[in-house]
Amino acid sequence: MTEIYAITLFLIVLFFLLGTGVWVGLALMGVAWLGMELFTSRPVGDTMITTIWASSSSWTLTALPLFVWMGEILYRTRLSQDMFRGLAPWLARLPGGLVHTNIVGCTVFAAVSGSSAATLTTVGKMSIPELRSRGYPEKMIIGTLAGAATLGLMIPPSLALIVYGVTVNESITKLFFAGVMPGLLLALMFMGYVALSSVFSKDWNPKPEAQMTFMQKLSNSRFLLPVFALISVVIGSMYLGFATATEAAAIGVIGALTLALFQGSLNWHSFRESLMGAMRTSAMIALILAGAAFLKLSMGFTGLPRALADGIAAMELSRFQLLMALLVFYIVLGMFLDGISSIVLTMAVVEPMVRGAGIDLIWFGIFVVVVVEMAQITPPIGFNLFVLQGMTDHEMGYITRAALPMFAIMVLMVFVLIWFPEIATWLPENLRKGPV
Amino acid sequence: MKALRKTLDLLYAGAGALAAVCLVAILLLIVAQMIARWTGEIFPGAASYAGYAMAGASFLAFANALSRGSHIRVAILLNALSAGPKRLLEIWCFAVGAAVAWYFTYYAYWFVYWSWKFNEISQDQDASPLWIPQSVMVIGGGILAIALTDNLLHVIFKGDHRITRDLVDQSFGE
Repeated sequence: MTEIYAITLFLIVLFFLLGTGVWVGLALMGVAWLGMELFTSRPVGDTMITTIWASSSSWTLTALPLFVWMGEILYRTRLSQDMFRGLAPWLARLPGGLVHTNIVGCTVFAAVSGSSAATLTTVGKMSIPELRSRGYPEKMIIGTLAGAATLGLMIPPSLALIVYGVTVNESITKLFFAGVMPGLLLALMFMGYVALSSVFSKDWNPKPEAQMTFMQKLSNSRFLLPVFALISVVIGSMYLGFATATEAAAIGVIGALTLALFQGSLNWHSFRESLMGAMRTSAMIALILAGAAFLKLSMGFTGLPRALADGIAAMELSRFQLLMALLVFYIVLGMFLDGISSIVLTMAVVEPMVRGAGIDLIWFGIFVVVVVEMAQITPPIGFNLFVLQGMTDHEMGYITRAALPMFAIMVLMVFVLIWFPEIATWLPENLRKGPV
Repeated sequence: MKALRKTLDLLYAGAGALAAVCLVAILLLIVAQMIARWTGEIFPGAASYAGYAMAGASFLAFANALSRGSHIRVAILLNALSAGPKRLLEIWCFAVGAAVAWYFTYYAYWFVYWSWKFNEISQDQDASPLWIPQSVMVIGGGILAIALTDNLLHVIFKGDHRITRDLVDQSFGE
């Protein structure tokens, strides 16, 4: 009986604080405080500080600001100009033509940055005007951009996966590699959709591209090669076991600085801007994590997660039914909350449930991330929709409709992931053993 | 009044700069640890030091991130309201935020005090006295509490707060 009382109270207070606009991290702390005051006799303040200190000074977490910083440095280079020019000649021959630059460009940028808005602006800044001038259908340009920018969550380095790994105590390197194949598969599915609609759509007649020789193509993309090299070094060092996720992030920062230096875009101003940007972003995530750590502890004292996991176990849902319930739950939650918040907020309760059902936590991380990705392109607060609205001056409804096919593809992806879990689990199980 | 305003803004910016220094320290520590491992040396306690720098980079940056609009909040209701009710709601948000931050700072202060008094030493290889890194919680938490109170008073007396939302920073949360 206490449990029902507890869960109702937690939920009401939590949604009230979040809904009225209190900052997520502080709202979580407030709810956790209330829960502990009401349901336990422990010294709340001291427990709060001990928990928050332990979670905020963790070594695993240091991968987070470093990966953010790496993305911030590259965001400030001339990558945006190079991306379209470098990718376009290679993709022009595919059915669907240059719309593929949106998807491939986002995939590449996703491998260096964890921000979907940064990905959107970097890729979209050049590709939107170029594609428009060639007469590609507007809806396709907007839709693919909105969809593909979400790939940043799945392609390593993914901030969402770092946060998930820290929250449920799983290897971040393994999670990163679990995300590689599903991320690429999702990108391929987007591209397949583009190719199909280019064949069947009537208003698809863009201006043809000029023919280029192989050497011309190569010379056009020479500026992209260092970026590919950097991505290979960062991911390769983790795969071969030379470096942990944090160390790979440090390599990434140094590589990105070197790259910017040779490009001539590194000066004191851009260095400071990238550093301050990374500092603020990681502080934003750290505040949410601090609040979530305290909330997890507080909920644990009430016995709520255990009771819920037992309750779910007693219902004898099949694995598939449980996943479907969670799918709906996260889509609804994602309509109002950002991805990282919804992951850390729910994990205290969902983790024992999922472990109890015998679901692999590495696989589940990828599942959650795909589902949370969808939320970025669903109203009312889909982030990518906002950013695209600012970039293109279309109204929200139009952008949402343009992104709808991508949403459907992601739903399909979830089912593919459920039917063929090996897509996510094969790579991490075959990693070279590295430093711990 | 103007001097106070300037001092406070300088405080947030200064704490942010210190946090940035901590971030650079993380990078240097990790690189040093990597180089040590590859050359067969050991760098005892590097992981703990990086952890302390992580705490520094987080706590000291909270206020700066707040004033630059990086912290995530659900803005649906806030955006839907007209100026009058919106002001009331903002007052509520800053009041709750400031209360939580002051509460945190108060207990962090006593936590660090006892850590210093009993001379608590890290259990890891670094064996540093823990009150030194732990005090970033008091300093950073305190500055965040000041920043929230600062904005709370601003909303009450001037009608608006001094934060503009930064979409790019926030989108990292997605």
